[in-house]
Amino acid sequence: MPAEGKGKRSDKLRLTFALSTVVCVLVLAISPMKDFRAEWKLYKRSFVKYAQGRPDTKKLLADYSPSIDQVWLRGMNVTDRCTTCHQGITQPTLADASVPQPFRAHPPVPHNVRQWGCSICHRGQGPATEVAEAHETTLAWEQPILPAHFLQASCGSCHQADLKETPLLTRGRELLTRLNCQGCHKLNNLDQATLGPDLSGVGYKVTREWIYKWLKEPRTVLDKDGNVTVNGYENETTSRMPKLRLKEDEIRALSGFLSVQKARLPEKYKINPAVVAAWSKRPDLIAQGEVRFRQMMCTTCHSLAVTRAGETKMIGGDIGPELTKVGSKVNEEWLVAWLWNPKSYLEHSNMPRYSWSDEDLYKVSQYVLNKLTDSDLLTNVPQLGAATEDEIKTGKRLFVEKGCASCHALNGIAPQRDFGPDLTALGAKYASELEFSKAKIEHNLVSYIQAKLQDPVSVNPAARMPQYNWEQSDLDAVTAALLSQTGPAATSALQHLVVPKKYAPFQPVGAFAQIYERYKCYACHRFDGYGGTLAPDLSYEGSRAQKKWIADFLKNPQTIRPTLILRMPQFNMSDRDAGIVAEYLSMAVQKADVDPESVDARQFTQAMVSLGRQLYDVKYQCQSCHTIGASGGYVGPNLNNAGNWLTPAWIEAWLQNPQALQPDTIEPRRNFTEEEIRALTAYLMTLRTGIKAQTTASRVRAHVSGQGVGR
Amino acid sequence: MKSKVLMIALLVGNVFCVLEISGCKKSAGAVNPDVAFGAYDTEADWNDSTKLVNLGYQESQGKRVFYEYCVWCHADATPAGPSNRSNVSPMPPLMNDGAKLNGESDEYIQNIVTLGGSALGKSAMMPPYGKTLSPDEISAVIAFTRAIAQPAYQKPGRPGSQYTGKQ
Repeated sequence: MPAEGKGKRSDKLRLTFALSTVVCVLVLAISPMKDFRAEWKLYKRSFVKYAQGRPDTKKLLADYSPSIDQVWLRGMNVTDRCTTCHQGITQPTLADASVPQPFRAHPPVPHNVRQWGCSICHRGQGPATEVAEAHETTLAWEQPILPAHFLQASCGSCHQADLKETPLLTRGRELLTRLNCQGCHKLNNLDQATLGPDLSGVGYKVTREWIYKWLKEPRTVLDKDGNVTVNGYENETTSRMPKLRLKEDEIRALSGFLSVQKARLPEKYKINPAVVAAWSKRPDLIAQGEVRFRQMMCTTCHSLAVTRAGETKMIGGDIGPELTKVGSKVNEEWLVAWLWNPKSYLEHSNMPRYSWSDEDLYKVSQYVLNKLTDSDLLTNVPQLGAATEDEIKTGKRLFVEKGCASCHALNGIAPQRDFGPDLTALGAKYASELEFSKAKIEHNLVSYIQAKLQDPVSVNPAARMPQYNWEQSDLDAVTAALLSQTGPAATSALQHLVVPKKYAPFQPVGAFAQIYERYKCYACHRFDGYGGTLAPDLSYEGSRAQKKWIADFLKNPQTIRPTLILRMPQFNMSDRDAGIVAEYLSMAVQKADVDPESVDARQFTQAMVSLGRQLYDVKYQCQSCHTIGASGGYVGPNLNNAGNWLTPAWIEAWLQNPQALQPDTIEPRRNFTEEEIRALTAYLMTLRTGIKAQTTASRVRAHVSGQGVGR
Repeated sequence: MKSKVLMIALLVGNVFCVLEISGCKKSAGAVNPDVAFGAYDTEADWNDSTKLVNLGYQESQGKRVFYEYCVWCHADATPAGPSNRSNVSPMPPLMNDGAKLNGESDEYIQNIVTLGGSALGKSAMMPPYGKTLSPDEISAVIAFTRAIAQPAYQKPGRPGSQYTGKQ
């Protein structure tokens, strides 16, 4: 090789070496530069800049450090670096909406955010130091931030008891229970589910054609304006029976199978033929039946579609099924037997056993059978005839295959459990674990749950889950409740924080227990946290009401709150039964520290009474909420009969601290002196005007879920 | 020949280094505010039910307290139907009445709810809620009032504030 060539080559080599050295140095320089420009450091610096532009700089930067901030909760496996960028979350002066994110203060919540971190509630990736990593789904982390609307779900992951701050979650849990989702799915921390009716004797109750129609269209459709297209049997929003997406031959087979179910024979009752003979000829039979139907307050629990002035509305309660077309559904023999003794057909029904006279029973049953009907109900139903052996066999197979036994008991078929997937950890699932099929929705958990609830087939063509109909608010509530099912709580190491649900069925004893069961008091009233919420809580009724008043009320119920429509049915209770109830409530259903005997009304003086009246009228102006005479407010109970109704001991305890007796009452607690309390009690005890008896309630409004609208 | 290969290897290595360190850099991320900070709850505008007002956490808690305690006298429709407003005299203001409430400071409203009307020389028909509601619950109700106010509420110090400085 010539020397010249050699020199040239070594020059080239040197040049290349020099170049690569420069590149190397540049690369090394990029690294600190890149570190300096890390996302979290940008936010750190811009917070300093932002704080310096404000008058409270010193306070805002009091515990500023240029490094990463983190909250580390060892017991709960939480490492949250969110406060690295969200530096103002505990600065009250940064609460205003004009403060730019990520510096804005966290709104006041029951938990200290510095103590609990962020990801327990908001989810996302706690240790991340980049915006996208922390908030969104990335390749390395699939748990994105929970949309604010569903944040209550996180409360439910730890708090098993219902919290007043989380109405959406509470409603969702209520719906999961009401719709008996636990029939098919495993879910944590819900009340005992309510089942659909026992079908063991359904062949006695309805025809095969009716079952066919029911399986095809189980609902009445209620549009946005509240107009009802009555083509089904249940109010759409309160319907519990979902659509099962059955094929024609499947409906035929199932209806055939169900129509031969006659294992559970209701106790038959025969109305005295003389009564039937006398009443069946009377032209006012149906009208009389309707009057009685209303007097008996059937619409407290059952709803009817009522058309007034061209507008059809659902009126009535939702404890029992809708009755608009029940006359075209059930047969006469069954109806009479049912009204006579509901328990003989359905063991766990909430329907009270009324004390019927034969006359009333005939009138009401004739009204139901002749007036609450629809001649077009079964128009599109083919004549099905008697079920064939084959249909019965296929029907039985379908009953199990479709999961019917998850909700309905049927003689000879074992209840199905775990028919659907376990959902106890659904809320912690990653998007990659979910099946989206061809659904055109965002691939995240919230969209998945909502799509699945709205149309199960859209995300899984082979889904067995039936079709429900949701209002948006209910859909969101159920979504929140499902998102709260995240398996064992993150706070499981802190068991004492998790409040377990209490189940304390009220179990009265003796003669009262029989009456309590017969009239199903618990369907509407609550005793020690057990029972319905439609009517007042009676846990302390014995301390509150006078014994005689209770007995009189049972014989002739009337409303005490002026805005409420009477809902308490007249049971035609005998004097003996009313006496037993009054006696038991006064003796055994009391608030321990309110002894009705402790205050003697006889010691009240005229001076106390006139002072009390003055306090009521002038100083405290109680008339803004309560009515005495004909004037006053609608919010609290009418006090015209307070002297006969309430015990003086209860009035005193109530004025002292209403929330101690009834935690959810809206009556404000005041600063009364002992003397004022005595005087007000003395005054109220002089009020003894009976309220005019209300004999008919022409209509009952739909169930109102409002706190403090009890009595 | 050997050194040439070495050279090329070194260069390629460098390029990878550069790519590795600076290549996958993302621009400072922004969060979709609708998802992370979107409405915790909503309330239909009282004058126009088609419009929804977005509520944050505190305002939502205020909404809950309002519909439990205040709605009976401070709204024309209640969950139970009729309102008690017309039975009370002087008639209580509607809770969205910005013309009346925007001028009052948060402190003043907090006081009147806590201590009752008579303590501040107003109607005794407004009872004190200081022993029934917590200060946080009362502030939440005020936040809710501000959120639904018509005309819209402006904070003191902001342009268009209706605050009169009354205590």
